[in-house]
Amino acid sequence: MNQNRIPRVGIGGPVGCGKTMLIERVVPVLASSGYSVSIISNDVISKEDANRMRLNLATKRGLLPENLVVGLATGGCPHTAVREDPSMNLAVIEEMETKHQELDLIIIESGGDNITTTFSPALADYFIYIIDVAGGDKYPRKRGLGIETADLLVINKIDLAPLVNANLEVMEKDAKAVRDNKPYVFVNCKTDKGIDQVASHIMHNVLFDEPPKAQQLKR
Amino acid sequence: MLKITKISGNIFTDRELKKRFEALDKQKKCERLHLTRQELEKTRLRKNTDKGTDVGLTFNGNTKLNHGDVLILDEDFILVEQTPEKVLSIKIKQNSNQTEALILLGHIIGNRHRPIAIDAQTIMFPIQADSEVELFKNLLAEFQDNLELKIEERVFVPRKGMDVHEH
Repeated sequence: MNQNRIPRVGIGGPVGCGKTMLIERVVPVLASSGYSVSIISNDVISKEDANRMRLNLATKRGLLPENLVVGLATGGCPHTAVREDPSMNLAVIEEMETKHQELDLIIIESGGDNITTTFSPALADYFIYIIDVAGGDKYPRKRGLGIETADLLVINKIDLAPLVNANLEVMEKDAKAVRDNKPYVFVNCKTDKGIDQVASHIMHNVLFDEPPKAQQLKR
Repeated sequence: MLKITKISGNIFTDRELKKRFEALDKQKKCERLHLTRQELEKTRLRKNTDKGTDVGLTFNGNTKLNHGDVLILDEDFILVEQTPEKVLSIKIKQNSNQTEALILLGHIIGNRHRPIAIDAQTIMFPIQADSEVELFKNLLAEFQDNLELKIEERVFVPRKGMDVHEH
């Protein structure tokens, strides 16, 4: 029994949809509210995304310690490390839960994968599935477990919609239809449009709108 | 937000609890927390009951939510109700080719990583769309006379020990 379980958010989506950029935009919002966040980034071979987030969020901005951005090379299809056998991720999380009880949240990024990506509930408490408009406005209605069952659907790169003839109204209508009233957010990570909404969903549904642990300890 | 950290019991395994639920339900003192099968697997979750109570569930990793669980049983009563979903049921008719049909059926469903439930001669598993019936009809075409396929909207409780992922 783990009394010190730190809440966890899983972020998955196709290659190039903006998973890393979403984390880079959301973490500063959470940090500005006082939340202490750690990041685990899964990829098949490379640790490039983890290195980038460490540089941008830890080294340059000091929003979290450098050692709390962890890159995991899964060596196989990324979904295997977040769904079928999440033991690599769970081992890192257990160490964090032992050594860093000050953490309010752990964000787990899956490597780019297909529309059936989901997270094992043993690994993530809340699952964000992200797609981008450049994949075409048909994307939501093509369904798939990720799009349908994610706790939050994020549709990124909305600034590109006119360039790829993607109709955001169609995407919104389809997202509502296939997700049975579960929430979705249109986002432009370049301008931070919609980022506050994503952060709010995490603070409400995962952190239960409770104050950061650091503030609770001061009381 | 009403924070809940433990499950008080289950009306399907505790007769006394079921009686208490039925009595309170008649007085309209019960609230229902509707959760999907996927949500039942979570150990941290925030959602409103049917009467609008904001509930935050947080359990240790060993606790598993089930259809019929009771979360609060003071003056108020919060019951977990699993949301019905699309399920394909395949009834196996008794005949001489049964063994071969069963082996193939297990192979086809297992290849798609679906959780299953078994009820006498019927095997059930969740599907995402009606169109999947055609797929399974094609895959099982050689045994079409031995099998009866039907889509149902029902609460799907996977067979214990069948902790598989889906995609």
